[in-house]
Amino acid sequence: MFLRIVADSFGRRPRHKLLTGAALALGMGVATAALSVSLDVGDRLAKEFRSLGANLLVTPQADSLPLEIGGLDYRPVNAGAYLPEADLPKLKTIFWHNNIVAFAPVLEVRAEALPFAREGGQLQNWIEDVPVIGTWADHGIPLPDGGEFQTGIAKTNPWWQIDGRWFSGDAKECVVGAAFAIKNHVKIGDSISLATGDVTKIPAPLKVTAILSSGGPEDGSIVVPLSRAQSLASQPGQYRKLYIGALTKPEDDFARRDPKTMNAGEFERWSCSPYVSSIAYSIKKVLPGADVRVVRRVAEGEGQILTRVRMLLWLVTGAALLAAALAVGASSAASVIERRTEIGLMKALGAGSGTVGFLLAAEQLLLAFVGGGVGYAIGIVLARILGERIFGAAPEPSLIVFFVIIALAAGVTVLGSAIPLRRASRYEPAPILRGE
Amino acid sequence: MATLHSANRAMFWRIIRRLFGANPGRLFVMLLALGAGAAVTAALLNLEVDAKRRLTSEFRTFGANVIIAPPDSGHASGSATIPETLLDRFPNQTSGSLIPRAAFLYAIAEVTAFSGEGKNSARLGTAPVVIAGYRFLADDLKQVVPYQVIEGDNVVILDAETCEIGQKVASQFHLHVSGVLKLKAGETEHSCVISQIRGFGGAEDSQIFLSMKTVQHLAGLPQQVSLIQAVVPGGPAQIEHYLNDLRSQFPDADVRTVRQFTEGEAKIYNRISGLLTATVAIVLVLTGLCVMAAMTNVAMERKNDVGLMKAIGGSVRRVLRLFLTEAALLGLAGGMIGGAAGIFLSIGLGKAVFGVAARPRLIVYPVAVALTIIVAILSAYPLRRLASIRPASVFRGEA
Repeated sequence: MFLRIVADSFGRRPRHKLLTGAALALGMGVATAALSVSLDVGDRLAKEFRSLGANLLVTPQADSLPLEIGGLDYRPVNAGAYLPEADLPKLKTIFWHNNIVAFAPVLEVRAEALPFAREGGQLQNWIEDVPVIGTWADHGIPLPDGGEFQTGIAKTNPWWQIDGRWFSGDAKECVVGAAFAIKNHVKIGDSISLATGDVTKIPAPLKVTAILSSGGPEDGSIVVPLSRAQSLASQPGQYRKLYIGALTKPEDDFARRDPKTMNAGEFERWSCSPYVSSIAYSIKKVLPGADVRVVRRVAEGEGQILTRVRMLLWLVTGAALLAAALAVGASSAASVIERRTEIGLMKALGAGSGTVGFLLAAEQLLLAFVGGGVGYAIGIVLARILGERIFGAAPEPSLIVFFVIIALAAGVTVLGSAIPLRRASRYEPAPILRGE
Repeated sequence: MATLHSANRAMFWRIIRRLFGANPGRLFVMLLALGAGAAVTAALLNLEVDAKRRLTSEFRTFGANVIIAPPDSGHASGSATIPETLLDRFPNQTSGSLIPRAAFLYAIAEVTAFSGEGKNSARLGTAPVVIAGYRFLADDLKQVVPYQVIEGDNVVILDAETCEIGQKVASQFHLHVSGVLKLKAGETEHSCVISQIRGFGGAEDSQIFLSMKTVQHLAGLPQQVSLIQAVVPGGPAQIEHYLNDLRSQFPDADVRTVRQFTEGEAKIYNRISGLLTATVAIVLVLTGLCVMAAMTNVAMERKNDVGLMKAIGGSVRRVLRLFLTEAALLGLAGGMIGGAAGIFLSIGLGKAVFGVAARPRLIVYPVAVALTIIVAILSAYPLRRLASIRPASVFRGEA
C-alpha cells in the first residue's frame, strides 16, 4: 500500500516531480562540478607551477663557497667539491619519486672556444674564458620497474627558448647562447672546438644544433652534453649543481618546523606530506654528501598562490552548494505546503502524523536519489569539459564526490520538507478539508 | 472610462497584495530561493573581478621580474657597473604606487670569520666570499628577493655595523647570529656583526649582505651598482609598457625581464583566471536554472488560483499579468536582499582569501538584481500553459 501511494503520487503529478527533480539535478550538478574542480585543482596547478622552474637545488655539502656574480662562478676550476652522477637514478627510488617531475645536473666550466664556419671550415680566433654549461638535454633514467624516465634541462627550465633542436645524448653537439652567437657570428650548423688548459692540438669540434635564448646569463655561454663538460673539467662522472622540480603541497606552519624537534607521530605526518621541505629531506638521504636547499623564490610564491586559489575555489564551491541547497530546499518545502489537502485527507482516513511524514519523506528521498544521480552525471561532464579546456586533462570522477552529493541531496530535500511537514502534522483534518 | 481604468488598477494591486499575504510560508520559500541565487550571483561576480586583480599582485611574491644591468653584461664582465642614481629615477607607473626595487653591488672580499666579539672568540676560518651591498626602495628586501630567515628573527644589535649572511656562508664557517666578520678587499678593511642568517636557495646563499655605502667603499666604486632588481606589478601588457618607459629613461643600461618568472607567471595567470571564470560561469548558469526550476515548481502549484480567477471572469492576459507582476516583485525583493547579502559576503570572503577586503563594485548590485528579476519572470512564464485549463475541471479536482 505504501509503495502504491508513493508510485501513485509520482504518476499523478509527473510535471511537478519532474520539475523538483530538475531543480535537484541542476543544483547537485553545480555542486559536483565545483567539488570535482576544487579537489583536482591543487595537483593540476602544482604541475603548472613547474613552468617557473626547479624548486629544489642540490649542491655538494663540502663545497667551497661559490664566487658567483651575475650567474658566473669566479672560482678556479679545481676548487670546490663535486657530486657523483651515478647516484642520480636513486632520485626515482625515494618515497616521493612520483612527485619528482624533472631534474637536471649541471657542471659549469670555463673554456676556450674556437668556432668554425660551416663552409670552408675557415679558422677563426680562439675566444678565451667562455662559460660552458654541461647538462642533460633529454636523458633517460632507468627506473626500478623497468621503465625509463625522461628528464633534462629542457624540463627543469622550460623558459629556455631553443631555435633548432637540443643535442642528443653524448653526441658531439652543442647549443649556443644567443648573445654569444651574435657576438661571434655563430650559426646553426657551424662547429665549435672547446678546450681547457694548454692547447696542444685542436680537439674534435662540436656541431651547433640550436641557438638558446634564456633571458639570463646563459645567453652568453655554450651548453654541451654533461659528459663533454666533465672531460673538459677533467671530472669524469661528476656534477656540481642539480636542479629538481617537484610537485609539492603548500607549506603551512607545521611544515616550517624543524624535523629534529618533532616527536615520532609528528615526524611521520611531516614526512608523509609532500611538503617541499620533506621532499628535500628524503632526497638528502639518497644523495650522500649533498646539500639540498629549497629555492625560496619559487617555493614561497608558489605555496602562497596555490593556497589562495584553492581557498578561492573552495569558497566558490561553498557558495554553489549553499545556493543549490537553498533552492532545492525551497522547492521541496513548496511541494509539501501545497499538499495540505492531501495530508488532511490522509489524516482523516486514520493515518498518524508519523505515517504521513514517513510517506512524504520517502517520496522526497526517492527524488533526491534520482535527482542527485542525474546531477552527479551532469556535474562530472561539466567538470571534464572544464578540466580539458583549461588544463588539458579531465579530473578523475571520484566516488567520494558521488556519496557526498547523494547525501547532500537527501539531506537538503528532507530538511527542506521537514519544517512544513512538522507544521502539517499539527493540522486538524476537518478545517483543511472544508477549505479553511 | 478613466475612473474604470483607475479602479481596475486599484483592484490589480489589491489582488497582488493579497497574493503576497495569502501564504506567508510560500512567500518565504520563494524569497529564500531567489535571494540565495541573487546572493551567490553578487558574491561571485564581485569576488571574480576582485580576485583577478589581486592575483596579479600575488604573483609579485616571486620577487623581482625586471633587471637593470650594465649593457653587455651577458658576457664575462662582472666588474661593469651602472650609476646608483638610477634606483631613484624610476618613472612612476600609471597606478601611482611605488615599484619595489633594490640595487646591488657585488665584490669579492677576503673574509675572516670569528664566533663573536672580544678576546675569547674563536677564529673560524678565512676564505674569499662574494659581498653584496644593497639598498632598497620597498617595504622589505623580501619583496624583491624572497628568502626565509633561518636564524636571527627579531634580533636587534645596537652600536655596531651589522650584516646578514646566506645559509651557505653560515654553514661553511659554522657561523651564528652575533658572530663577527672581518672583510678585506684590496687595501680597505671592514668588520661587521652578523644579525641574520637567510636562506634563498640560490647564488645569494653564498653571499654576505652589507649596506651599499660599505661595499662601495670596499670596492672603490662610489655611487656605482652592479644591478637593480625591480618588481613591476600588472599583467604582461602593463609590464611590457613599463619596460619601454624604463628603456627610454635609462638608454645606457640593459633593461630586461626575468624570463623565468614573467613567462611562467603569464601562463599560470591565464590558467587560474580561466579556471575562475569558467567555474563562476558554470555555477551561475546552473544556479540560475536550479532556482528557475524550483520557482516554476512553486508557480505550477497555483492552478487553483488561476482557475478561480478565470471562473469569476478574469481574461487570460490579465491573469497572466497578475502572476508575472507578482513574480517580478518577488524577484526585485529577493534580488535586492540577496544581492546586498552577497556583496557583504564577498567582502568577507575576499578578506578570508587575500587578507584584504574585496572592494565592492556597485555595478554588480544592479546586475544581480536584474538577473534575479529575469529568472523570476521566466520561472512564472510556464503559468501561461494554465491559461488553457477549464475552471470547472479544476474545481472538480480533475487535471
